[in-house]
Amino acid sequence: MLEAKQLVKRYGTLTAVDGLSASIQAGETFGLLGPNGAGKSTTIGMLVGLIEPDDGEISVGSGADQGPPNLEAVRKNIGIAPQSLSLYETLTARENLDFFGRLYNLSGNHLKQRIDWAIEFSGLEDRQNDRVETFSGGMKRRLNIAVAMIHEPTILLLDEPTVGVDPQSRNHIFERIEALQKQGLTILYTTHYMEEAQRLCDRVAIMDQGKILACNSVDGLLAKHGGQAVVTATFNADSKRDGLGIVIGENQIRFEDHDPIQKLQELRNDGYIFDSIQIANSDLEAVFLKLTGRELRDQSSS
Amino acid sequence: MAVKDLKILLRDRTSAFFIVGFPILMGLFFGSIMGGGGGGGSSAMKIAIVDLDQTESSAKFVSLLKENANLELLTSDIESSKTMVRKGSAAGLIAISPGFAEKAEVFWGEPPEIQMGVDPSRNAEAAMLRGYVMEALGAMIGEGFGNPDKFRKVVKRERDRVTSSGDLNLVERGLYMGLLDSVDSMMDSVDDLQNQENATETQQQDNSAGGFQFANIQDIDVTREIDPKSRAGQLQKIRSSWDISFPQAMLWGILGCVAGFSASIARENTVGTMTRLQAAPMPRFAILAGKALACFITVVFVIAMMTLLGYFLGMRPGNYAFLVIASLAVAMCFVGIMMSLSVVGKTEQSVSGIGWMANMVMAMFGGCMIPVMFMPNWIRSVSVLSPVRWAITAIEGAIWRDFSFNEMLLPCGILILFGLGGLVIGTTILSKRLK
Repeated sequence: MLEAKQLVKRYGTLTAVDGLSASIQAGETFGLLGPNGAGKSTTIGMLVGLIEPDDGEISVGSGADQGPPNLEAVRKNIGIAPQSLSLYETLTARENLDFFGRLYNLSGNHLKQRIDWAIEFSGLEDRQNDRVETFSGGMKRRLNIAVAMIHEPTILLLDEPTVGVDPQSRNHIFERIEALQKQGLTILYTTHYMEEAQRLCDRVAIMDQGKILACNSVDGLLAKHGGQAVVTATFNADSKRDGLGIVIGENQIRFEDHDPIQKLQELRNDGYIFDSIQIANSDLEAVFLKLTGRELRDQSSS
Repeated sequence: MAVKDLKILLRDRTSAFFIVGFPILMGLFFGSIMGGGGGGGSSAMKIAIVDLDQTESSAKFVSLLKENANLELLTSDIESSKTMVRKGSAAGLIAISPGFAEKAEVFWGEPPEIQMGVDPSRNAEAAMLRGYVMEALGAMIGEGFGNPDKFRKVVKRERDRVTSSGDLNLVERGLYMGLLDSVDSMMDSVDDLQNQENATETQQQDNSAGGFQFANIQDIDVTREIDPKSRAGQLQKIRSSWDISFPQAMLWGILGCVAGFSASIARENTVGTMTRLQAAPMPRFAILAGKALACFITVVFVIAMMTLLGYFLGMRPGNYAFLVIASLAVAMCFVGIMMSLSVVGKTEQSVSGIGWMANMVMAMFGGCMIPVMFMPNWIRSVSVLSPVRWAITAIEGAIWRDFSFNEMLLPCGILILFGLGGLVIGTTILSKRLK
């Protein structure tokens, strides 16, 4: 559905994207995970034909409509929800949808049906005739995605779609995206929130300084780069206590293992009894830390 | 695209005010202070008066004219008064011809002769002045009827003239004597009436009753000697003060439109809607063409709206077809300028700030604040660089300057060149930025 080969984009001496290659299958949700400035938005820009790559090739779509994204026939199958809220604040939700729908040659009853669908999709039935400037951040974000879907694209590019929204609205956006996934839509999702990538993406590419450092399913990335799970347990008073790993204080032990459940079962069979157990699985944050030596998010970022 | 931009423009109250409200206010304000507020103020009409008769009756006539609050009489001789009118220091002249008294004191025979001269460009004043002269003569004759003793003296003088005249035959002499006897008899009746009612009221005079003429007014040619190319010559063509203020006001609205649309292009970039527009399956020039079309429509709308408003206030464009041509040329010019200004900065704030600064300079030198014809020579020379000057010239050419088609070509051609230049510069830079 989307294939990028050795993409390069330079701005003066800065190389924003450096030899990026990726392939996304139809119906797949592909995550680009990386910190701010990693080159995610530049990559998105190149994939929809907004930015001309200095080198490399891009092919989007399938069948007769397959080709580079600067072709109009290819673009009509792409939906994009940019990171900035790309809406006209003084127009209403319906007017925004109507305008952007017409850009994709929708008209008449079909356009009206698509607008109704988009209003319902974004949960703005009660506010559809209000100006966007009166909406909350979450409502604008939902509308931003709905506008990207107005023309029924086959591939949807979501560039940091949850930036600046509260947890409740974020969850609402996740549910909407999951609904689109069930419809079989191909999604490219950029984020610097690892929990979003873990929840939504079939495969994730870890990106930093314009390069893809690793690309796999979430489990595959964790298995290969995430390290072992960390178990912290508190002994029961009647428990056996000898012959274990690191003992913290008098009643607690801490150990690392790839399969902590299996390990705990074995310990129980050997006579070790615990009152409480905490298992800290490895996550993409740990993967990123291991791959780059840095944390995914700046201390100052949310 | 264009409809969306027009909708957004109307929703932005500040922009809408600068495009629609502000020019109306400017037009009304400057039009009013130039004297278009209805009636042209309270100043009296200055009239040079020449008394060539030098009689009691002519003096009486002059005093009656002086009583008219709408006239300010300047006593003079005939040549000086003509010069005063030619130089514009008097609106007209009245010369009381010799023999005025003899003819004015009786209401038969030839009416008294009065010479009158008014600059032909001031036809309205000429008609008013003619009315004031008739009114004064009517009042004078009315006073004669109200004074039977004075009138009997006139009848006696006329009776003596008829008796001694050798030109009259017996029948004619009998008719005149009969008429004078009737007048004598009428004066007796007036005496009786005054005695009975102890009243001094006299009947109102009707200047036009029964075709009777109070005066034989002779016109004097005193056309002002004005070079048609001079400032005064140009001003002579102005039909109403709105003729000056409304073209200026139109340009204020157009400059507001330019500022608004140039900032809106920058806003599309900063807000991110430009990303969506670029990602849509349409050529890039369509995005810019949509902006240009919306700006073009708004400029034409501003000119049409101000013309309509001016029409209701008394402005009468001399040539509507030329006004349409001027409007299209002006719209094209300022669409180009809008495109150029939209690339002078990368943020909405910088484009807006630089745009208004450029607009103000164009407005100052182009005659948006003070008409170019009233500016010092060096500014008039510099003003040729301002598209505003050519826009005002083109619009004024259609409204009151009575431009021929060939005369319209110069300002309209320059406007189109400005527009094309702006379009090329603006769209080239914008297209590069969009890549």
